[in-house]
Amino acid sequence: MDATATTTTMTTTLAGFSREAVEELSRRKGDPDWVRDARLAAWETYESLPMPKRTDEEWRRTDLRGLKLDRLAPFAGFNGAFDGLASLDGAAEDGGLAIGSADQRAGLVVQRDAATLHAEMDPALVPQGVIYCDLDTAVREHADLIRQHFMTEAVPVGFGKFEALHAAFWQGGTFLYVPTGVSVELPFRSFALSQEPGASVFTHSLVVLEEGAEAFFVDGYRSETQDRQSFASAVVELILRKDAKLRYVQVQDWGRHVWNMMTERATLADDSELKSLHVALGGKWTKNSIGSHLRGPNTLAEMLGIFFADGDQFFDNHTWQLHEAPHATSDLEFKGALKDGARSVYSGLIKVYEGAQKTDAYQQNRNLVLSRTARADSIPNLEIAANDVRCTHGATISQVEEEHIFYLQARGIPRTEAQKLIVEGFFRPVIDRIPVEEIQDFLQGAIARKVGF
Amino acid sequence: MADSTQTPMFEIENLHASIEDKEILKGVNLTVNRGEIHALMGPNGSGKSTLAYVLAGHPAYEVTEGSIRFNGEDILEMEPDERARKGVFLAFQYPTVIPGVSMANFLRMAVTNVRNARAEEAAADGGVAQKMTPREFRRLMKEKMALLKMDDAFATRYLNEGFSGGEKKRAEILQMALLEPSMAILDETDSGLDIDALRVVSDGVNALAGPEMGLLVITHYQRLLNHIKPDFVHIMMNGRIVQEGGPELALELEAKGYETLRAEFAAN
Ligand SMILES: Nc1ncnc2c1ncn2[C@@H]1O[C@H](COP(=O)(O)OP(=O)(O)OP(=O)(O)O)[C@@H](O)[C@H]1O
Ligand SMILES: [Mg+2]
Repeated sequence: MDATATTTTMTTTLAGFSREAVEELSRRKGDPDWVRDARLAAWETYESLPMPKRTDEEWRRTDLRGLKLDRLAPFAGFNGAFDGLASLDGAAEDGGLAIGSADQRAGLVVQRDAATLHAEMDPALVPQGVIYCDLDTAVREHADLIRQHFMTEAVPVGFGKFEALHAAFWQGGTFLYVPTGVSVELPFRSFALSQEPGASVFTHSLVVLEEGAEAFFVDGYRSETQDRQSFASAVVELILRKDAKLRYVQVQDWGRHVWNMMTERATLADDSELKSLHVALGGKWTKNSIGSHLRGPNTLAEMLGIFFADGDQFFDNHTWQLHEAPHATSDLEFKGALKDGARSVYSGLIKVYEGAQKTDAYQQNRNLVLSRTARADSIPNLEIAANDVRCTHGATISQVEEEHIFYLQARGIPRTEAQKLIVEGFFRPVIDRIPVEEIQDFLQGAIARKVGF
Repeated sequence: MADSTQTPMFEIENLHASIEDKEILKGVNLTVNRGEIHALMGPNGSGKSTLAYVLAGHPAYEVTEGSIRFNGEDILEMEPDERARKGVFLAFQYPTVIPGVSMANFLRMAVTNVRNARAEEAAADGGVAQKMTPREFRRLMKEKMALLKMDDAFATRYLNEGFSGGEKKRAEILQMALLEPSMAILDETDSGLDIDALRVVSDGVNALAGPEMGLLVITHYQRLLNHIKPDFVHIMMNGRIVQEGGPELALELEAKGYETLRAEFAAN
């Protein structure tokens, strides 16, 4: 990747997370007082909360001990050197998610470590009141909106230990705001890159769709594999007011040195609709917590996931379908393939609150295990406090069937190609649900490369 | 119709095969020459599909004795895909459903593999390797689908998923039409076909068959053989071919059933 060649890194001397580190970060960023105060308050919250333990249900199969927080730099140097967007598409040629052409997006923000390298939005959207920018800009220019929505509603600061840490140390991040009645068809895209060895990267996506607004948002996380451990903390907040419609796609392709925690919560007001896809390909260790609060009646949450683990990768996906209101539908499908010595955990909860009658909830997790040493665990859960609901869930862990391979071989297709075709076929129904050819092609390519054999 | 060269095209000799240590084929001898149509009949469970699978190279079966030669070459050690690229084709009695793999994508992979292998072979013999372009493939697929009166919509559907019994059989013959094998084994391709479909599929097979192709048709019923007329009929019982003859043998069976034969070979 060419972009790395011209870079002079400005490494921070701080190691480990501390109150001093919060203050230093805030100083370097030139935060307004209210932001610095919010960071410090979040740090207090972080300190007051216990570290997750293996005895906590959510962490039972997820071993955090390898994450050496005290050896990590809490943030990277602020280095804005950038070779331009074309350098990113160079990386895409090796299989990364492409930036895509300018006429195929409504806006683009590219960040590396804590620095914003590029930010643009279709000027035609400005008079409509649409805002798409990096979070620092949003803090300066749209303070009220940030105060109102940033870690207050979807993922509050006190959500958990690592979310509090995130609230204290957030660095990069994007803010998308679509006002009442405005509908934008092309995707807003965000690329979060990381490059500084041993540093943490905190990315944040805050999406607010006002009444009847419609948008499409694509988050991409990417880095080259390095020797030293690094830590990525992402929080994704998707706020949908009445009648809003959001399509959200996330592609996680961190290098294999990254320990990655991502917490996403969507809140859906009456009649709103969320369609999300989460793709996890990279990282050494990933813990995703993905949830939808169906807070209003007639809401719909489609939650799709694809993960493909190889080598010694570990993926943990926890999902939450939270039916807080009646007449809401959630449709979740997470599919994963594993090879080599990879491990995965899927755990999903459908929770139907009292009074949430006529809930229609579906949850499915399928795993395809491609080697003897790979292992997938799947734990579906139901918690139902209403009596007139339909909840379906299912989990499978299977291998490629020899009969399938034989059939393809009998048509002249060599064994390895047959296997590739079958694994692609396994993911295909999910891929087909994303009506964006570019993302479909990327996924197909990424899967083919992962299958390798 | 006899082959002009000395080597028979497809020659099965004293073939023994077992599955999970249970012997199913107990010494099968059968030779198919270029341009010949052979029918293989026999009661349920006699080993017809097993023979078909073993010829195609199914990994679950172990060949314990005997040989299969294709154009003089022993194919027993070959992987199923290598056999297919050499021109052996099996239309499955029960075609496999493969979720998520579209017909078009699958057919393109199959055709590319088989035809490229053939093109390379031609090139090695001094000819020119003619590889198929995606455009040529689409045209060919459309043409063959029309030949088998299959709706275009099948191309985008997942392989055999939700296909009716008859549609699956039609799709098998579509694959045969695209791969142009020199030795085709059709395992009960007539079962599940309605009367019109039987005609369409048989016409399709007849259009493909010719002086260069050998055909082994496994069936229970004369009605298929009214359309695809065999030169030879073989009857399999208990893992062996116990009787052979011309087309009249199938008619005789239709009239009498297997009882007399069964009595005769009960000793085995
Ligand atoms: N996996 C297996 N394990 C044990 N026995 C098997 C297995 N597969 C096939 N067989 C047996 O082999 C015998 C031959 O089966 P095959 O399918 O070849 O019969 P067939 O002649 O094709 O019958 P049909 O006319 O019903 O299609 C049967 O008795 C069958 O039960
Ligand atoms: Mg059979």
